[in-house]
Amino acid sequence: MGGFIFRWRRPIIIVLVIMVVSLSLSFTARVHSKVISLSNLIGTVVSPASASLTYLGNKVGAGVGTVGQLFTLQQENVQLKQKLLLYNSMKLELSELSQENNQLRGLLNLRTAASGWQLVGASVIARNPDTWLQTVVINRGTRAGVHPGMAVIVPQGVVGRVVAATPVSSTVMLILDANSGVGAQDVRSQSAGIVNGRDPVSGQLTFQLFSHHPDVLQGDAVVTSSYSQYYPPGLLLGQVSKVTQTAYGLTETATVIPAVNFNQLENVMVVLSHPSGTSLPPIYGGGGR
Amino acid sequence: MWQFRIPTWIVLYLLGLLVQTALLPQIFPIGYVPNLVLPITVIIALYETPRRGLAAGLIGGLMQDLWAGRLWGINALTFALLGYAIAHLESRIARDNVFVPGLLAGLAQLLVVPFQWVILRVFGFPFAWSEFMHPLPVWLLFSMLVTPAIGGILGFKPRYEASRRYARSAR
Repeated sequence: MGGFIFRWRRPIIIVLVIMVVSLSLSFTARVHSKVISLSNLIGTVVSPASASLTYLGNKVGAGVGTVGQLFTLQQENVQLKQKLLLYNSMKLELSELSQENNQLRGLLNLRTAASGWQLVGASVIARNPDTWLQTVVINRGTRAGVHPGMAVIVPQGVVGRVVAATPVSSTVMLILDANSGVGAQDVRSQSAGIVNGRDPVSGQLTFQLFSHHPDVLQGDAVVTSSYSQYYPPGLLLGQVSKVTQTAYGLTETATVIPAVNFNQLENVMVVLSHPSGTSLPPIYGGGGR
Repeated sequence: MWQFRIPTWIVLYLLGLLVQTALLPQIFPIGYVPNLVLPITVIIALYETPRRGLAAGLIGGLMQDLWAGRLWGINALTFALLGYAIAHLESRIARDNVFVPGLLAGLAQLLVVPFQWVILRVFGFPFAWSEFMHPLPVWLLFSMLVTPAIGGILGFKPRYEASRRYARSAR
């Protein structure tokens, strides 16, 4: 008997297990509400442990996920930084373009306003190596019709005059230059004089007045006069910032702040010719007299 | 031995003047644009005899004068004297690649500006002293920093050292 059981132990165990499982299934199917309660009871008892384990599992999972994401995040960070750099450079470029656009629009408006005038546009390509000499080189020369003596202007006012020209470039003496002298007059009082370059650093001009008792006040606009040898009359030179008397009180001298910002001089217009007796609209300094 | 050739000096001055007239005015405001002929003269003269230092300064100054187009000779005279003085000093002082060129350039800048102010006054440019000196701190700092940098980039060597290296490579 013992030998028989031992020999057939595996099939017997399998049959017994099937029978137990069948009985259990049949029993629990009938009393399933009690089984659920029991299961709930077990769940309640082990719930703190399960909750802790779940919490731990979540945290570990999240940690492992973060570590995994680190590489992705690093790449993403690099990409975002590159994008930021690109946007910043685009912003800078946009602001430069906007500034250039304003300058060119100003030149266009000037060209339209001075319709009877023959103007040629040019770019500043170099400055003088000596700081006390205020000259610049522009990229238009005799081939474009530029010759010594011609006035150079921008929408804000007078820049200077051409002092030398080659076929492809010209040298322009700025009104700031110590050797520059421009016949000028006060727009309000018509007091006449000469505007000279004062010094290379402060970038201010000296308005040497002819009259003994000229009527010049702070804030007055100063324009080129009709006595000027090189410049068309009525072009804006600057604004009076200070009026002082000369050493013996014989004449008065005014300090003039130039209308043109010479630090941002990029594009200019050379006046090739202009109809005599014409002047520019008041916004360019003309027509107000 | 290229550093001792006059064409090399001319090319260096040409590059310096190009940068000075076209690039530096974009960075520095009008009236404050520093001079590059001075640092180049200091660097060349530091490794030269007084006569050749004078010649280098004369070439650089003359090139600047021709470029500027007025008062030919003011820079030639200034930088020739500077080249001579630096080369003369060179044999009497300890030499290093950073402090000595920087200090000499600063000292040179301090002397050159008043010297040129006097010359300009004599020749009819009566600039006010205070206004003429206004950019001096900027130029001083610029030359003290740029001169060692130029020296470092060019890698100039004393004549005996350069000829020893040249002899070794020829062998």
